[in-house]
Amino acid sequence: MVERIEDLNLPNAVIARLIKEAIPDGSNVSKEARAAIAKAASVFAIFVTSSSTALAHKQNHRTITAKDILQTLNELDFESFVPSLTQDLEVYRKMVKDKKESKANKKDTSTGDAAASSSSAAAATENGEAE
Amino acid sequence: MVDASKLQQQQRKPSADTFLPLSRVRTIMKSSMDTGLITNEVLFLMTKCTELFVQHLAREAYTATCGETLKYEHLSQLVNKSKNLEFLLQIVPEKIRVHEFQEMLRLNRASGSDEDDDDDESGSESESEAE
Repeated sequence: MVERIEDLNLPNAVIARLIKEAIPDGSNVSKEARAAIAKAASVFAIFVTSSSTALAHKQNHRTITAKDILQTLNELDFESFVPSLTQDLEVYRKMVKDKKESKANKKDTSTGDAAASSSSAAAATENGEAE
Repeated sequence: MVDASKLQQQQRKPSADTFLPLSRVRTIMKSSMDTGLITNEVLFLMTKCTELFVQHLAREAYTATCGETLKYEHLSQLVNKSKNLEFLLQIVPEKIRVHEFQEMLRLNRASGSDEDDDDDESGSESESEAE
């Protein structure tokens, strides 16, 4: 599954940006510190995943759910993450739902008469012209 | 300082965008999971969660710097004193000098203890490979 160990590293540039966002403007981060944070983040992801998997299995679920992850974070003493993650999840779910709906709408209009669809054309531009 | 970090997290706008690449996070998650299925929602949550973790780590470690450059030592100190970062002890170990290490070995031998701490490095290495 993982061919090279580098496949588990997170991209340096993104990590650097996230760190920069978290600390005051103009402060510096040593290369070594950045590398350590990146490594820690990979290990954190593995740690949370395996803990969530264990939790899901304990409840006789085969795959982990968002709820498992949030509960795991609570158990691992990262409960401060949960409120903002819950909000993010809400936004994400809404986005997925909207996407689905707009896709369904598009299907309807494309099967209908294309010439008489001035309103659907407006809807299509609103959808950002995914096609 | 915990309050300050919490405040900052709450100020952050919830969003469905991620900075870290989802595909990479999926690879990382798969490296630790026995079941192959990861839903998009879980993947999104995990990515967000890892981002929060990076920022949490940077922010907390930075409070110890008194405005100077964030260095590796600040991170290892943080890991050492935080209960919820215990899982990183082998990933971000405290650096010690060679002569300190030799002194430790000497003391160990002198006290006649037969517990072997000397293969610490190889131990942590094989562990990270196993994960």
